[in-house]
Amino acid sequence: MELRINQKTYQVDADADTPLLWVIRDDLGMTGTKYGCGLAQCGACSVLVDGNVVRSCVTPVAGVVGREVTTIEAIESDEVGKRVVSTWVDLQVAQCGYCQSGQVMAATALLKQNPKPSDAQIEAAMVNLCRCGTYNAIHAAVHELAGKGDA
Amino acid sequence: MNNSRFARTAGWLAVPCLVAAGLLAWYVTREPVSRLETHQIAVADIDPALVARGEYVARLSDCVACHSVPGGAPFAGGLEMATPLGSIHATNITPDTETGIGHYSLADFDRAVRHGVAPDSRRLYPAMPYPSYAKLSDDDVRALYAFFMKGVAPVKQANIPSAIPFPLNLRWPIALWNGVFVDAEPYAAKPSQDEQWNRGAYLVQGAGHCGSCHTPRGLAFNEKALDESGKPYLAGALLDGWYAPSLRDDHNTGLGRWSEAEIVQFLKTGRNKHAVVYGSMTEAFNNSTQFMSDDDLSAIAHYLKSLPGDRERDGAPWQYQAVSAAQRLDSPGAHTYVTRCASCHGLDGKGQSEWMPPLAGATSALAKESASAINITLNGSQRVVAAGVPDAYRMPAFREQLSDQQIAEVLTFMRSTWGNQSTAVDAQTVGKLREHTDPASSSPIILQMR
Repeated sequence: MELRINQKTYQVDADADTPLLWVIRDDLGMTGTKYGCGLAQCGACSVLVDGNVVRSCVTPVAGVVGREVTTIEAIESDEVGKRVVSTWVDLQVAQCGYCQSGQVMAATALLKQNPKPSDAQIEAAMVNLCRCGTYNAIHAAVHELAGKGDA
Repeated sequence: MNNSRFARTAGWLAVPCLVAAGLLAWYVTREPVSRLETHQIAVADIDPALVARGEYVARLSDCVACHSVPGGAPFAGGLEMATPLGSIHATNITPDTETGIGHYSLADFDRAVRHGVAPDSRRLYPAMPYPSYAKLSDDDVRALYAFFMKGVAPVKQANIPSAIPFPLNLRWPIALWNGVFVDAEPYAAKPSQDEQWNRGAYLVQGAGHCGSCHTPRGLAFNEKALDESGKPYLAGALLDGWYAPSLRDDHNTGLGRWSEAEIVQFLKTGRNKHAVVYGSMTEAFNNSTQFMSDDDLSAIAHYLKSLPGDRERDGAPWQYQAVSAAQRLDSPGAHTYVTRCASCHGLDGKGQSEWMPPLAGATSALAKESASAINITLNGSQRVVAAGVPDAYRMPAFREQLSDQQIAEVLTFMRSTWGNQSTAVDAQTVGKLREHTDPASSSPIILQMR
């Protein structure tokens, strides 16, 4: 089947129900997207599909044919994504970093849809897990990006 | 004078009483006549084709589901079934002569399968679905016998005695239950219906014993109907913490929106665009329905679609209403839905084609009984294994992650969004099911049927 990922077209040979994450990592070698729980619970595998954040470990690959997938590898080619990454660097959000590509995708999707999210909307969107506990830093970064300064 | 009259009267009364007691004793201990009494087949002469045929009938009947335990030898028994009176255990049905059924004649086997009577005239508990198996044809019983005698490896494994105390462990009253609730005649084809319908009816009512879970039960744990002549037949029932939905043509809670092809797909692959097997149906799928031939599955679908729905029971027909869960963040439960459920089931509640089931219009979202929705949220789904391949996607268990209140709210949200209009779920109900389905609980769920 034909997939559009990061503005490029790929031909992949996969069963319809193969998780998108496996295709991205194993078949196409883009390993910036991480495998965490495999059950849509942690968010480490978050990617954008048509600008919406999805958890690629529970996304059958057949469902994204004809849609535009964006992974962490290309997030900085997006205007909002670029700002998110730069704020992440400024505030030194990451510790071990394993969950952070997913966190960046979640923040980017939120800000692309809603440049000035309310606290409730931030709370509903930023739910990926982080075992290092960088939640305060993530919180600060998203609030800064939302134009709220350090919250 | 008075005394002798009394004695004479008592004497006259005693005669019919004794006769009645004698008749009762005969009735409840008698060995029913098998239709195959004179058809004994020598085990040595059993044709391999008949064994193969019998293996298929065993698949249709899903014998392995109860007569095996995980990791144990097939058909060696041991599965514990909790009842309010104490546990009973499924028996060894391998052809071991000492601990299994190796010494059974064809007629003995027939009496056990179709009449619920073991060779010593002991009545089986109707946990064995003999009220359904009674409909099996002579040919299928013969094939099944051939399979169990020659196609199954004998295993020496003693049966576990039941834990039901005296006098409740007396088996003879079951004979009276049988007399009232069981029609021990094989399925008779209805000339008014075509061949496919009759094959479907035979499979659904007989070997498939669909009614064991999907037909509501009466006060005596009897299925309220054993075929389409009764309105409650396959109309949906609560059983062991799961709600087995209607298999009738009910728009909301039954198969009203399913085509025959979609029913076949569901039973063959475990999933279709409406639903994925879960709860007890996972076992029925893993062990039984996926092995049925396409013709048999089509016949089942054809028969089920002939059972009319009941608008009064089912309610106003569900229609999808477009709304994103993200737009309803102010309603209780919506936040949990967006963060825990939406990745798979979608903000629009539509799921992902046949891989992740929709919640919009789902039976568990529309049925008044909330047991299935609560149970699967607490405990997740079991592994669905289709054609030897385990499923890629499974419902995780939220027992440790969500409180009773959070589960009640998210399910109430799910049952009142996208056009779903069903009863709210309260935290107490969730709490009860959490306790009853906890493997470490001292009060596990027991034979809850209604």
